[in-house]
Amino acid sequence: MSAESASAIHRNQVDLLDFVDWSSVECLNQKNSHSLPNALKQGYREDEGLILESDADEQLLIYIPFNQVVKLHSIAIEGPEDEGNVDPILNAIFKFPGPKTVKLFANREHMGFSNVNDFPPSDTVILSTENLKGKPVIVKYVKFQNVRSLTVFIEDNQSGSDITKVQKIVLYGTTVETTDMKSLKKIEDH
Amino acid sequence: MWKVESAEKYDEVDESASSSSPICRNRAATIPTADAVNLICGAKTQSNPENTVGVLTMAGKGVRVLVTPTSDLGKILACMHGLEIGGEMNLAAGIQVAQLALKHRQNKKQQQRIIVFAGSPVKYDKKVLELIGRKLKKNSVALDIVNFGEEDEEKREKLEALLAAVNNNDSSHIVHVPPGPSALSDVLISTPIFTGDGEGGSGFAAAAAAAAAGGVSGFEFGVDPNLDPELALALRVSMEEERARQEAAAKKAAEEAAKQEKGEQQSTSQDATMTENVDPGTSESDKKTHDLMDDENALLQQALAMSMDDSSSTVAVRDTDMSDASADDHDLQLALQLSVQEGAVDQSNQTDMNKLLADQSFVSSILTSLPGVDPNDPHVKDLLASMQSQSELVLQVSPKWRDSETKMS
Repeated sequence: MSAESASAIHRNQVDLLDFVDWSSVECLNQKNSHSLPNALKQGYREDEGLILESDADEQLLIYIPFNQVVKLHSIAIEGPEDEGNVDPILNAIFKFPGPKTVKLFANREHMGFSNVNDFPPSDTVILSTENLKGKPVIVKYVKFQNVRSLTVFIEDNQSGSDITKVQKIVLYGTTVETTDMKSLKKIEDH
Repeated sequence: MWKVESAEKYDEVDESASSSSPICRNRAATIPTADAVNLICGAKTQSNPENTVGVLTMAGKGVRVLVTPTSDLGKILACMHGLEIGGEMNLAAGIQVAQLALKHRQNKKQQQRIIVFAGSPVKYDKKVLELIGRKLKKNSVALDIVNFGEEDEEKREKLEALLAAVNNNDSSHIVHVPPGPSALSDVLISTPIFTGDGEGGSGFAAAAAAAAAGGVSGFEFGVDPNLDPELALALRVSMEEERARQEAAAKKAAEEAAKQEKGEQQSTSQDATMTENVDPGTSESDKKTHDLMDDENALLQQALAMSMDDSSSTVAVRDTDMSDASADDHDLQLALQLSVQEGAVDQSNQTDMNKLLADQSFVSSILTSLPGVDPNDPHVKDLLASMQSQSELVLQVSPKWRDSETKMS
């Protein structure tokens, strides 16, 4: 049930982190101190101290563009466990402030919270506590064959609290083209 | 009126919204609202070419967008022109429409900002305003509030609550303008709403501030930028050039000091005459010079430094001197050339000069004879102290430098 065995099941799926266009990545309603790179970037996301937190309310809107077209296979979202409350009842409720309902939109640019419910999502994922420990969720593959950008809308969290916390977001998939435009060199006239 | 801004990093889209209230007894305050809006619009468009600004009103019949976000200042000024002042404002609706206008901006990379000119009382209660503020924060829209018109404690509290709800990392501001004789635009200039624009806007603000400072004498350089913009510009540019040149020279001096740590030596007696002529902008490799902007001190430092300089370093610096000074002073050039030749030829004088200048009393007597020099000045004292310690060093290094000296000449 570990993340490693789960990802081993899906052969040829790579971590799409390398194809993310970092200059245009956006996240709405994040706290300044606990921002998106904490959950997305290599190294930061492994660190349990660094998490992405929501600010004004519990929703988060994350826009991830890619620098080439990809196919998305699965997504793993890890949430932290909060052992803060002494009260056992409250503890059970507030233990998992990680995301619950996550809507994914492929190729929709610059969405805002106001229009996020105007379009049907490409897929909706309801995360269980197991998923929050790192087990990836397989998405509707057919909908994600030609993804230029991915919008992740985290609608609510497990505990119903005002702050959603995300430890790690990993996207698994494959690339469509294998040409890396940046490494293309100009052909000299012979 | 609401001013809605959206901007990319430094560029913004503003939408300006203002309300005017019949309650505002001081009628004079209503007209400057237009001025204030124009001022801010101008500052925003100047500070970044990608900025766009829009204007909407929220009092009277209902919320009306007068200008959708544009970078054309003329359009904005034109719409401000025909505005009527009156009615009570609808703050919530105004903000919502402003947000909508921002959402449909053309350049999605721009950051969003709303500037509210709130003249009339606020009829919504705090809870509603806080909710609005949170929604703005969620959509990363910054908010600036200008609270003018009659003093209203309740209004003040509500607006502060709104600001607190929306404020994210100090990107939002509020300004309370008390009713009084001073114009709204004057008060606004010094606020972060204006100065938060960055360097581009501040140039505009500085000119406006100079104008606001009162009367002709308030203008920088005593010239009204409006009456004679070219002259004002020329004066400002030349000041900046002079400053930049001095800074560059000081920087160069610091660099050379770093390179030639041990290379300080005595040089010829010609230096005494050179003191008067040397342009302070070409200060040399004394480490302590880079702090001095005062002309006379710089001159003094120069003299002492040159007399302590290593002869080859002197040659090197003089080469640069000559290129810098070429535009300035013929006499200077002549003096420089003379001393270069002297330095090359006359080595035997050096050790004598060493001893002479190492003599504290001799130096202080020279100092007091120089016009405008105060021997009690801390800089001077520092230099004297350093000279003492360096004179021994100088004697040891001299043979090597002499050789390279002759090669250079």
